[in-house]
Amino acid sequence: MSDQDSWVRIERVFDAKIEDVWRMWTEAALFQRWYGPNGAQVPTAEMDLTIGGTRKIEMQMTTPKGPMSMWFIGVYKEISAPRRLVYTESMCQPDGTIIPPEAMGMPEGHPDVTEVIVELESVEGGTRMVMVHWGVPAGTAGEGGWMQAIDKLGEALNAG
Amino acid sequence: MVQSDDLSTAFAALAHPTRRAILARLAKGEASVNQLAEPFDLSLPAISKHIGVLEKAGLITRGRQAQFRPCRINPEAIKSVADWADAYRPIWNQRFDAMAAVLEDMKEDDK
Repeated sequence: MSDQDSWVRIERVFDAKIEDVWRMWTEAALFQRWYGPNGAQVPTAEMDLTIGGTRKIEMQMTTPKGPMSMWFIGVYKEISAPRRLVYTESMCQPDGTIIPPEAMGMPEGHPDVTEVIVELESVEGGTRMVMVHWGVPAGTAGEGGWMQAIDKLGEALNAG
Repeated sequence: MVQSDDLSTAFAALAHPTRRAILARLAKGEASVNQLAEPFDLSLPAISKHIGVLEKAGLITRGRQAQFRPCRINPEAIKSVADWADAYRPIWNQRFDAMAAVLEDMKEDDK
């Protein structure tokens, strides 16, 4: 990826066994305990932990008008316990229909599928985790077209 | 970068199909409340409420002309949400803080 704005990489060492960190990602009940901090909850976490299996998450935020949910759906692409996990993620309707980013006023080319890659390794002092979350822009092979699209949108709006 | 709390507000505002449709319409150009209401089977007050939520979240702005107050998309706020790497980095860091806490709890339970 040439475009550094289109991915997030976070590295951490947890004072825990590699198997336990793996469970944090793959056991729904444990996943729900950490995935939604800062006032957000995860009322639904469906995880069919098989290659091609569906992963569906509901994140719920409290707003002055009551709870508001956002749904995410994806599939597992790689499951190599307890070392490597890869899944996709897209915003969806509660029924699982993917919401295209354009339907949110997002510029064309904004990623409608993102991919999360988790790599774990036993190290002295615990487990090192490297997580990469990156976007696959719609209609491109993955090279940073969508930043250009955002610039274009900005120009279009400024011109208007 | 926009603060993660602002982003939460923005994401909460996006978590509604009508509001997403309003944004998609405004991405094509500014519009009055009446124009925005047209494609929906909703009352003007209901549409106004949705517009209010989008405005509070900073995703749209409204003109000052007293009668029409046209709505337009706020490109900067949309860009903050669209620059999802910037949006997600603080969220992931919070999550992993929470994960560390859960792992600590597990260890306590093992004792």
